[in-house]
Parts: sequence; C-alpha cells; structure tokens
Amino acid sequence: MGVALAALFLVIVARTREPRPVRAGVAPFARAGLAILLALAFVWLVPPVGLETEQAERAMLALVAFGAAVVATRRATLHQLLGIVMVENGLVLGAIELPGGGSLGIELGVALDLVLIAVVAVVFHERIFAEFGSGDTAALESLRD
Amino acid sequence: MTSRETLALAAVALPALTALVVAVVPRRAVQPAALAGLVLSGGVGIALAIAALADPADLTVTRWVVIDAAAGLMTGVIGLVGLASALASPSYLRTVTSGLFGARHGMRAYYAALAAFVAVLTAVPLAGNLGAAWLLVEATTAASAILVGWSGKPRALEAGWKYLLLTSLGLGFSLLGIVLLASVAPGGSLDALSWRSLSADVPAGETTLVAYLLVVVGLAAKIGWAPVHNWLPDAHSEAPPPVSALLSAALLPAVLLVAWRAERALEPAVGESAGRSVLIGFGLVSLTVAIPFLWRPLAWKRLLAYSSLEHMGVIALGVGFATPLALAGVAVHIAGHAVAKALGFYAATPLLGHEPRAAGHAVTGIARTQPSLGATMGISLGALAGLPPHPSF
Repeated sequence: MGVALAALFLVIVARTREPRPVRAGVAPFARAGLAILLALAFVWLVPPVGLETEQAERAMLALVAFGAAVVATRRATLHQLLGIVMVENGLVLGAIELPGGGSLGIELGVALDLVLIAVVAVVFHERIFAEFGSGDTAALESLRD
Repeated sequence: MTSRETLALAAVALPALTALVVAVVPRRAVQPAALAGLVLSGGVGIALAIAALADPADLTVTRWVVIDAAAGLMTGVIGLVGLASALASPSYLRTVTSGLFGARHGMRAYYAALAAFVAVLTAVPLAGNLGAAWLLVEATTAASAILVGWSGKPRALEAGWKYLLLTSLGLGFSLLGIVLLASVAPGGSLDALSWRSLSADVPAGETTLVAYLLVVVGLAAKIGWAPVHNWLPDAHSEAPPPVSALLSAALLPAVLLVAWRAERALEPAVGESAGRSVLIGFGLVSLTVAIPFLWRPLAWKRLLAYSSLEHMGVIALGVGFATPLALAGVAVHIAGHAVAKALGFYAATPLLGHEPRAAGHAVTGIARTQPSLGATMGISLGALAGLPPHPSF
C-alpha cells in the first residue's frame, strides 16, 4: 500500500508541475511552533494508552499533531493531502503497537481506506490544477455566507 | 442465514454489484442498468426496514452485523432516498454537459459513484462493530466526494475538496479514539470493538473517556454538527441535487446512528451523564449556529443545507435525552426530515433550470411563474419548519 501511495504521488507531481512554489498561509517558524505546541498539547491531554512503548505513544500523537498542523497551515493541495497521510501514519503506528501486536484488520482497513482517499484527492488535485493553473487552495475561497 | 440477514446482504450487495456493472457495460446501457440496480436495491432496503420494524424485539446482533429497529429505519430511509435520487438523476444529467470526468465518461462515473455510495452507506447502519463502521463511514467520504465535485465547476471543486479534507481529518481523530479503545479493550483486536464487546468489556477510566470524546468529535465532523460543520453548507449546495438529497437525508443520520451506538456502547464505562452531555452539547451548538442563517435569505440549496445542520442538532438532542419518547421522536424525525429534505433538493433541478441565479442567490416569485414548483418548495419548507400535519411537528 505504501509503495502504491508513493507511486501515486510521484506520478501526480510529475503531471502537475507548479509554475511557481505555492506559499504556505503561515510563516515557517510559526508553522513549526504551532506543530510542536499541538504535539505537546496532545501528549499532555491524552492519558497513557498502554501501547507497547511510551515512545510509540508519543510518536503516534506527534504524527497526528504534525499532520493536522500541515493540513491547517499549508495551502498546496498535495501538502494538505500529505498532512492527512501523516495523521493516518500515526494512527497505523498506534494500531501496530497495540498490546499483543494489534489487529491486522485495523491496519489493512486503514491502509486501504487511505489509498482510496488519496486516489480521490489526486483526482481533485488534477482538476483543480487544470482549472486554476496551480494546486493553491487560496483559489478555493469563493464559498462564503 | 435468516431472511433479515439475506435482505441485509442483498441491500448492500445489489448497489455494489450495480456499481461494477455500470463500470463495464456499453455506454448506452449505463443509465438503464444503474436505474434498474438502484431501484431494486432501494426496494430491498425498504423491505428490510419493514421486516426490522415489524418486530423490533427480534434482533440480529453479531460481531460484525447488527439488524435492529434503528438499522431497519436507516436502511429504509437510505433505500427510499437512494431509489428516489436514482430516478431524479436523469433529469439532472440532462442539464450538465461536462464534469469532473469529461462528457464521455461523466455519466458512467456518476452512476458508478452513486451506486458505490449507496452500497457503503447502506452498510453503515448495519455494521456491528465500531472499527468496521469507521471504515465504512470513511469509504462513504471517498464515494460521495467524487459526486460532490462531479460537475467540475470551480465552486464544486472547492466544496468537494473541503468535504474530503475536513471529514477525513475529523475521521482521523475518530480513529485515534478507536485505537485508544482498542488499547484498553481486552484482546485489543477488531473483535473487541463490536458494540456488544465495547459495552461489556471496556473498563471505565480516563483513557476510555478521552477515546469516547475523540470518536464522537471525529464523527461530528462527518455528521456536520457545529462547530465542525464547515464543509456541510458548501457540499450540500454544490453537489448535484440528487446527491445533496442523499447526503442530507441519509448520510448525516446514518453517521449520527454510529455516534449514538458508540455512546450507548460506552455509556457503562464513561457514565450516562458524560456520554449524553456530549450529544446534547453538539445539538445545542448546532441549533445555535444554524438558526441565524435560517433567518437570512439564502440560495435555495444553501438554505436547505443550514436546515440540515439544524435538524441534526434536533436529532442530537433527542438521542442525548434518550428517553423512550425522545427516541421515538428521533425515529419519526429522521423519516420525516428525509422525505421533506429530499423533496426540497429534488426541486432544485427544475428551479435552477427555470432560474439559474438561484444557484448563488435567494430568488423570489417562483410560485407566480412556476406554481407547481413553488408549491413543492413550499411543502418542503413547511415540513422542515415542523408545521402540522408533517410528522416533525
């Protein structure tokens, strides 16, 4: 599944070369600060969950936090999709590190689901790129009340 | 296999098979094959609802499947709205020349995605396991996001992207809750996440409470409960009208049913008060956020979208109070809302044909120029406002 996902990203990056870098909505230090703060907040808020090791628990929460921060602060469609992949990677890590080895069902289900979501997201990315000439979500701000 | 289990299997398998058939048949056979398959699967869903509601005491509860009155009600609603949306689709498709997949493959992609959406959506209320329910809910996102952006217009792309991203992120947090539950449940496998095992085996404690909150907050993003509802008005207003009907009338309450089952299953561990308060809180916030928008003149489909937010808030209050009378009211409300909301969205196709400005603006005078269309919109709005004799009164 991981290879399929990587191949999908390689193909789509090659097919939709950005004419210029898509700027993030937030400056780099602010993004890093936000991601670290979010990760620390998660580690502080979520009680010990009894994964195989404490490091695994922290890595899971950090990946979820960093992924959420990427989705919230990046404007490029592919970066936002990578944020979702980071979140799901963290969760799969948690599933693998469950006491007793975790459930193959959960891991396979999540992986399959992630590939499905990624394929749909890539369809949208290609169409957004064709429509706006860039995968910059700043162009997607017409729907307001 | 009992007759109910056979009907449940058929209700899920028929639309899935329809999606496969639609993907391979010659182009001229796409629409007839899709309509035949979806009408048949709608009929099976309604038959399952009748069987389940006729004898609510006769339950089928296994590790993977649950067929009770709630599942019966939802499969009936999904069957009815799925069938009606299939029949409403040809008139919508005649108004569209291209789309996300171009003119050549557009119709095939539309019906394949619609049938796949109906298949996974029908399976959601029948899932007897929180892990399986999560996977199915996430799969509805993939199928329905394609449909939301199907027209390929910039606004539809924006709505589809937001929908895909926000609900996937929300469901990611739900999955974090599920991993936490699996960590405290004896066995820690997918089997330990069945509704029955969660109720019997999950110990009380801080971890379970945090897990419950994460599960419900993540599902709230998919149900469209405020304050995590941002995708809802955009997706409902930009999707093709038959798809908007399915999203509002069937998808939202089906996911809400999963949240309710999670609350019921974890109530022994997190406590009745904590479990129900979360649902009541989401209900109150959703009503508070929706009401100001319902007072404003909005584009027709956007108005219906905010009405969905309001109705999901009302249903959240019902399942949060959880008295027998409140739950009976919820059942009536879900059925009544589905019919009224679907009718409203189906009216959008002739409305947009008659008055294209209605896509982005509130329009007036429809009853004067198109009396039957105006009457349909009036009946839908009256029912959604809870005016008698509609059941939601």
